[in-house]
Amino acid sequence: MKTRAGWALIRGLWLSWLQYRSFFFLLAFGWMIPPLIYLLVWSTAAGEGTIGGLSRGAFVAYYLVLILVNQVTYSQTNWTVGDLIRYGQMNRVLLRPLPPVYDALASEFAGKVVFLAFDLPVVALLALILRPELEWTWANGLAFLPALVLAWGLRFLWGYWLALLAFWATRADALLALQDALVFLLAGQVAPVALLPGFLQTLAKILPFRYMVAFPVEILTGQLDLAGMQTGFAFQAGWLSVAAGLYLLLWRAGLRRYTAVGG
Amino acid sequence: MPEPQIQIHNLTKTYRVPVRPEGLRASLGSLFRPAYNDVEAVVDVSFDVAAGARVGLIGPNGAGKTTTLKVLSGLLHPTSGQVRVAGFLPWERQPEYLRRISMVMGNKSQMLWDIPPLDSFRVLGEVYGVPPARFRRTLDELVALLDMEELLTKPVRNLSLGERMKCELTASLLYRPQVLFLDEPTLGLDVSMQLRLRRFLKEYNQHSGVTVLLTSHYMADVLALCPRVVLIHRGRVLYDGELNELARQLAPFKQLRLSLQVEKCNGAMPIPDGVEVIEQDRASLTLRVPRAEAPALTARLLQTLPVADLTIEDPPIEAVIDQIYSGAGA
Repeated sequence: MKTRAGWALIRGLWLSWLQYRSFFFLLAFGWMIPPLIYLLVWSTAAGEGTIGGLSRGAFVAYYLVLILVNQVTYSQTNWTVGDLIRYGQMNRVLLRPLPPVYDALASEFAGKVVFLAFDLPVVALLALILRPELEWTWANGLAFLPALVLAWGLRFLWGYWLALLAFWATRADALLALQDALVFLLAGQVAPVALLPGFLQTLAKILPFRYMVAFPVEILTGQLDLAGMQTGFAFQAGWLSVAAGLYLLLWRAGLRRYTAVGG
Repeated sequence: MPEPQIQIHNLTKTYRVPVRPEGLRASLGSLFRPAYNDVEAVVDVSFDVAAGARVGLIGPNGAGKTTTLKVLSGLLHPTSGQVRVAGFLPWERQPEYLRRISMVMGNKSQMLWDIPPLDSFRVLGEVYGVPPARFRRTLDELVALLDMEELLTKPVRNLSLGERMKCELTASLLYRPQVLFLDEPTLGLDVSMQLRLRRFLKEYNQHSGVTVLLTSHYMADVLALCPRVVLIHRGRVLYDGELNELARQLAPFKQLRLSLQVEKCNGAMPIPDGVEVIEQDRASLTLRVPRAEAPALTARLLQTLPVADLTIEDPPIEAVIDQIYSGAGA
């Protein structure tokens, strides 16, 4: 029954979005631009040689995968949570006989499908033009999938708990912009994490942001050895638990406050 | 006797509202030492509603009506008191409870804005787990009652306010709830649309047996729909009973209408003390007199004025309510 309800929510969103599809394609295009710029910068810089062990073709492969991973893990839903709370629209969600997280998950799933419908052909076209070099191994491919799912979970929940601060502070979504900036710097967009200078690289490996985007990309493009993957998965799972814990805590406390103060 | 469907016992809801002082300096100070005021939205409210009844919750802006509805629908946690609706504690918001109630807010929409109502209804049908055959039947019935067949396929954003309210009502009744909370359902609607919705609500209540609790600022809504009203003022119940009785109990006045014999009027019209003139022209007078003194004062007026005709009546319900709202009757 719940699956049918979730599916109905997804269908409803698709129907709504079909009314302004160009908006979504523009959004997806916008999200693609920064990695595309750095793709061109690094692949040009590499020229005929290598930088940090990465050739021109390897940079192209890295950034094309990153464009897709960035899209799959980006949680556009989180930007709407604050509005729901601020404008009292949370009431509508709370009055339904469904856990409110269904709305967020439905929006996430619906969004991924729409954005990928735009991104996949564009990335395929870019791959034809820019000739990436990717050494495919089944081991990397198999490790990539769970890393991608965990990366989405981490980025979604991390943004969600930040967005839930809207229960207390009016413009909590400024923190989402900060998260985006940190992802941009530390999650392999400006440069692959392996190329960051010493201090930033350590920071990137400790903080959660690398595990939202860069980690699965590094796995698929063969930048990580077994030990690197293991440490990475450990950090990713650890941060995911922290994010899930904070989400649960803030959701419960926030709801208590919401039902005390009223929307 | 069956247990009432809505039971409210000593319900109190106090909001803690942050106090924002004037000026930048004081504002900065409040960042570190926030000050709060306790605002009592609802104080010690008690009333029951039987299954299938239609009850109007009336009172001025800020009286506590919406707060009461929000507590009943599970959106607010009461500060104290007991509340049970259909046997459930509302604020636990169990799915089983949420499937039994419906809340329509005149200023909030549950429709998806960009798509036709029919698509929104289908989504809601699934969310509430309505079996397809029953969904179809209920929808057909509601569409016929509200005469809205042609609205089903237009995007909601292209509908007028009244048409949207028809959609809201359909959406809220699709899963056949047992209790319907309506918060200002006719807000901003034109007179004929108000009439339509009132007729619909009455008919629907009579044949489905849904319990209706509604708030409205339009006395006409309440007069037409609610055999019983609960009047809330400053968070407290001032009156609970028939609307017609309200005037008798709460307005300590009678209204006298006098038609005068114009030819005998010689300018001066001696009005006794304790009588308030509401309207006056050459041929008629409308007066307000204290209820208890009405007979004596009427007798005096008949002696002193050239009266052609006289009626004594309760003041119109709007006037009574206005007096209570502005504090005179409280």
